Amino acid sequence: MTPDPARRQGFGQPRGLMFVFSLAGGLLLVFIALPLLRLYGAQTPASLMRVAAMAEVRSAILLSVEAAFLTAACAALLGVPLAYLLARTSFRGKGLVEAIVDLPLAVPHTVVGIALLFVFGRTGIIGAPISELTGYQFWGSAGGIVIAMLYVSAPYTVNAARVGFEAVDPRLEKVARTLGAGRWAVFLQVSLPLAARGILTGLTLTFARSISEFGSVIVLTYYPMTAPVKIYDMFLQFGLGDASAMAALFLAVSLSLFVIFRALFASRRGAAAGERRG
Amino acid sequence: MVASAVAVEGLSLQVGAFALQDISFSLSAGETFVILGPSGAGKSLLLETLAGFYRPARGRILIGGRDLTDAPPEARRIALMFQDYALFPHLNVAQNVGFGLRFSPRRSGAEPVGALLKRLGLEHLAGRKPARLSGGEQQRVALARALAMEPALFLFDEPLSALDARSRDTLRSELKTFLGRAGVPAIYVTHDQLEALALADKMAVMSNGALLQVGTPSEIFNAPASEVVANFVGVETVLEGTVLSVSEGMAAIGIGGRILHALANDAAAANASVLACIRPEDVALARTTHPDSSVRNQFPARVTAVAAAGPLFKITLDAGFPLVAYVSKQSYLELGLVSGVALIASVKATAVHLIGRAAPP
Repeated sequence: MTPDPARRQGFGQPRGLMFVFSLAGGLLLVFIALPLLRLYGAQTPASLMRVAAMAEVRSAILLSVEAAFLTAACAALLGVPLAYLLARTSFRGKGLVEAIVDLPLAVPHTVVGIALLFVFGRTGIIGAPISELTGYQFWGSAGGIVIAMLYVSAPYTVNAARVGFEAVDPRLEKVARTLGAGRWAVFLQVSLPLAARGILTGLTLTFARSISEFGSVIVLTYYPMTAPVKIYDMFLQFGLGDASAMAALFLAVSLSLFVIFRALFASRRGAAAGERRG
Repeated sequence: MVASAVAVEGLSLQVGAFALQDISFSLSAGETFVILGPSGAGKSLLLETLAGFYRPARGRILIGGRDLTDAPPEARRIALMFQDYALFPHLNVAQNVGFGLRFSPRRSGAEPVGALLKRLGLEHLAGRKPARLSGGEQQRVALARALAMEPALFLFDEPLSALDARSRDTLRSELKTFLGRAGVPAIYVTHDQLEALALADKMAVMSNGALLQVGTPSEIFNAPASEVVANFVGVETVLEGTVLSVSEGMAAIGIGGRILHALANDAAAANASVLACIRPEDVALARTTHPDSSVRNQFPARVTAVAAAGPLFKITLDAGFPLVAYVSKQSYLELGLVSGVALIASVKATAVHLIGRAAPP
């Protein structure tokens, strides 16, 4: 074999680069995983069992899961149409709409909670008339939890669904119309199924962001307690012991849901990609 | 039927950088109309306007005597075929073919999906997803999907342009057979002259949103109405003829009273109608008969026009049929080529390209 200088150079340099990058990346992975591993390492089966037996712990975890599901459903109903519009149309002020969609990502969550109080709180511009008309109150209710969760997590659904719709070839929609499908039928039978994995990815992220939300929820509705609020409450009242046991339990629940969703949609993604490539 | 199957009258529209200017033509049942034009000519815009995705500023679209100018795409029964056929990737072959039937109940007498699949040789693929089909299979699925809705008009937007040369030839002849049998008028846009020649009953050259000339393929190629048309179609000689005989790989083509010898190909079946195409640089001119007998085609010809074409001269001849030749400046001077000069034009049989045509209706 003839020596190839370009190849030798190409061989030497990336190796150093790969080494340095692997080291940096490895540090980050350890940084992410270590606290969670320590959290589990610090638990005894007895303390976990004792905390798991507490009714208020179980109801807080259940409430978190329910509220996060409900939030994902709201995000689907309100976010998917907006995602489709952003993917398929161009209009004056589109940049502003996109900025508004991303805004919650940049607002501190306690600020979100306070701002939501002005709208959905006791004297809020929506909260007050609704409570007067129907008696329903967003503070101290699951409704307030969902509202706080939706505010901080909706952008994930809109953005991922938009990417999903953008990946659908507009010519498929055109062909469907020439075959007799009206606009609603085209959306429901062509665009929506083809964008499904983008939408589901977005809903998974919205769910994950919602179930882990603390800041805006605690400001808008301290009660009924979601799991993160309850953990904080236990930490303040009884210190690290029981709080860390509940934290370990809750993390196990929310992470396993997240992993299950990801696995479901990731396998779908793999199948779809495989089909496309043939 | 007296009325045209399809009539487009004075269609005009401006969409961004693209425009349609006063587009008019008519098609009779089963006719294939090829629109030849460079990219950016507005060909796709014309098709999408016919399909109903743009509202024309002026003009009318009539199909079977019905004015469809303001009808939405789903109410037009116009089938649109894109470059890669745009099959629904999430549906299998049978679901793709049956897609249109979800929205309109099948008329009595229309073919059920199963029969369509069988007719187009797709039965064994019914459960397969489009990504796992060959190019030819995809084309047949797209055609079946369109046929299921009993279209009044087929629109083809450069369906073959993304394919390699070999599959293009195969699919083109499949498509041609299909169009011949379907009896549905079709509009086919392309920038490929061979494709136009192979498929067109009628053709037009489009540029800057306007149809510059509408006519038969040989009219457009041999008698371009303007310089723009001539430049775009090239100056290839295209002759209508009939195959007289085929033997030992050679075909004899009757063109008017003359006989042109050509290398036989798929199009060369006895008594078949063909177009014989000759590139101008393959035509040699001489004062006397060529001594080399391997040159099969030698015709006495008379110069009818001479024009400078870049470094060459373009000589138009009457050899019993119109013929165009390119000669170098040296030949031009040596032969003294001016209008009226008589000489011998020769063309090697290998330089005559035959394209099959459907027999005239």
